[in-house]
Amino acid sequence: MKKENGRKVFCRCKTLRAKYLNQMKHLIKDLKKLILSSQIWKSIFRHEFSDTPRNRILQITSNLFLHLHPPKIPKHALKLSYTWGMGGITFLMFLVTVVTGVFLMFYYRPAGEYAYADMKYLMFDVPFGAVSRNMHRWAAHWMVICVWFHMLRVFMTGSYKSPREFNWNIGVFLLVLTLLLSFTGYLLPWDQLAMWAVTVGTNMAGAIPFLGHEGPFGAELGLTSRYDARSFLLGGTLVGPGALLRFYVFHCIFLPLIAGILMMVHFWRTRKDGGISTPHFETNNTNEESGKDTGKVERVHVFPHLVKIEILVALAVMIVLFVWSINIDAPLMEMADPAKTPNPSKAPWYFTGLQEMLVYFDPWIAGVVLPALIVIGLMAIPYVDINPKGNGYYTFRERRFAILTFSFGFYVLWISLIIIGVFFRGPGWNFFWPWEEWDPHKIVALTNVNLSYAFGIRSEVSAFLFGAIVVIAYYFLGAAFYLLKRNSEWMQKLGLIRYGTVAFLFLTMMALLIKMFLRLAFNIKYIWVTPWFNI
Amino acid sequence: MAFIRSMFPRVLFESSTVFKAGYPDDYVIGTISEKYKESHRVWIARTEEGFYALLAVCTHLGCIPRWQEAENKFRCPCHGSGFYSSGINFEGPAPRALERLEIYLSDDGGLMVDKSKKLLYEKGEWEESILQV
Repeated sequence: MKKENGRKVFCRCKTLRAKYLNQMKHLIKDLKKLILSSQIWKSIFRHEFSDTPRNRILQITSNLFLHLHPPKIPKHALKLSYTWGMGGITFLMFLVTVVTGVFLMFYYRPAGEYAYADMKYLMFDVPFGAVSRNMHRWAAHWMVICVWFHMLRVFMTGSYKSPREFNWNIGVFLLVLTLLLSFTGYLLPWDQLAMWAVTVGTNMAGAIPFLGHEGPFGAELGLTSRYDARSFLLGGTLVGPGALLRFYVFHCIFLPLIAGILMMVHFWRTRKDGGISTPHFETNNTNEESGKDTGKVERVHVFPHLVKIEILVALAVMIVLFVWSINIDAPLMEMADPAKTPNPSKAPWYFTGLQEMLVYFDPWIAGVVLPALIVIGLMAIPYVDINPKGNGYYTFRERRFAILTFSFGFYVLWISLIIIGVFFRGPGWNFFWPWEEWDPHKIVALTNVNLSYAFGIRSEVSAFLFGAIVVIAYYFLGAAFYLLKRNSEWMQKLGLIRYGTVAFLFLTMMALLIKMFLRLAFNIKYIWVTPWFNI
Repeated sequence: MAFIRSMFPRVLFESSTVFKAGYPDDYVIGTISEKYKESHRVWIARTEEGFYALLAVCTHLGCIPRWQEAENKFRCPCHGSGFYSSGINFEGPAPRALERLEIYLSDDGGLMVDKSKKLLYEKGEWEESILQV
């Protein structure tokens, strides 16, 4: 009895537990029913949970954020080997910078005497301050990389071709905005990097032809250091507190607003232009009964297929970014000192290509005209590439010239310039091999001469004429090629305007290389010297 | 238009452009003095002829070049421009010579430099830039 008594008590307990559990289950079920059938719930969520095609579509279309997607997409759009996921990660990085940026705004004051101290406060005292700032900066760096890879993917799959020409152009603007956001961002800590980046950046603005007082025809138009494009950015003639405040407003309000609007257009246009690029002829949907190709691209539901991938990728990227930001601090140099330029004074890696380019040309060319031509060239691509092949799939054979030119100009050349700037330039911006010590007193005898001088021409007028002939003859190469090939079928198809654009941009890109070679090998400073500008 | 105009304030609160640079006897003949580089971004050069003042701002993109006495040249850390002690550009991307500034003697015999009065080599203004003592 006693033994059994114990068992009996236990049994009674078990019965009671089962009873309560059962009641609880009913309660939860009732509660769920109550919530799901309530007017409040129904007013928010318009779909049920059963796995039916109708619900899969409703889950996308009845949600503002998921509604960026179409309800169904081509199956190949799920493949990371096709999309690389770069557009999405870029957007994720933008969101990270927005969230962390707003947090940083609670502590940061955009005034010369506070800004740097606030950085130190954030890095050493504010709870989660350091990791937020690190995430903000690293996400910005990653965003630049992701934009770059996104463009490469879009180019390689020919996705800028009709009907997506305009959206490629929006993308080019977004690339420029990404870089401008980075630039205005690294000015805000008001450290030495900021100080000298503002100085160089705004002086480049001062070199804009017709708009800057140092640029060609600027002085002729009556511009002074008090009233020109540079002082517009600085709010004065010197780099000071006014400049910091202006760049803060650009960074936190003006640029993100424009970027946000353009992103909306970019995503919307992607939908309107028929979603992700798809090959026209290639289908993989065979009719099960007849075994014949139905001619339609197989489509899958975005929910759950794509949404699942997006969440997993976002999670993975966030984990890596978070661990990275906990372990590696964002760069912060000494406090800004307007009397001392660090030696060497280097831009962040994504601008060292530009910095290296500035060595070979006057600022109005290297800092204004060439970057503008890069942007114009990128924007022109969909309109000058009339080859219909290679739209929606990877191919090299069918579009050799396009792929070779683009990858050379935008990747090989640009990345080489970045590598030279980051790894091969030391104190005094002297060239150092990786095994050489950075000696600040390294003597390099580099006495520059103009091309005309090297050819023995001494008088100014003949030097002017010589330079003009060299430059015009160089660009005449393009015209000569046109005259040679004008009757060929593809030239007829291309037309004079398209050909002219391609030839001019291509020759200008090559001119950069030629000028670099002439400077490095023969110390040639200018090809063409005129009283108004030098090339 | 109004926005653009409003971005150029009427008054700028920037420091005075004229400063006193000691007395002629403070300088050794044949040297470039960096005494006023920190405070005013100006080098004072003392030659046998007299004085000239160079603005320590690179004519390329505005960084501050370093005076390298051993090599007798100024070298800019940003893009590698080089200038002779006279201020003439000879290497790197700088498009023109360093700017010289007006330098004159005050009533009490001290050196005065006016940073608002620039004397440019390419305009042939350097003859006036030397203060003979």
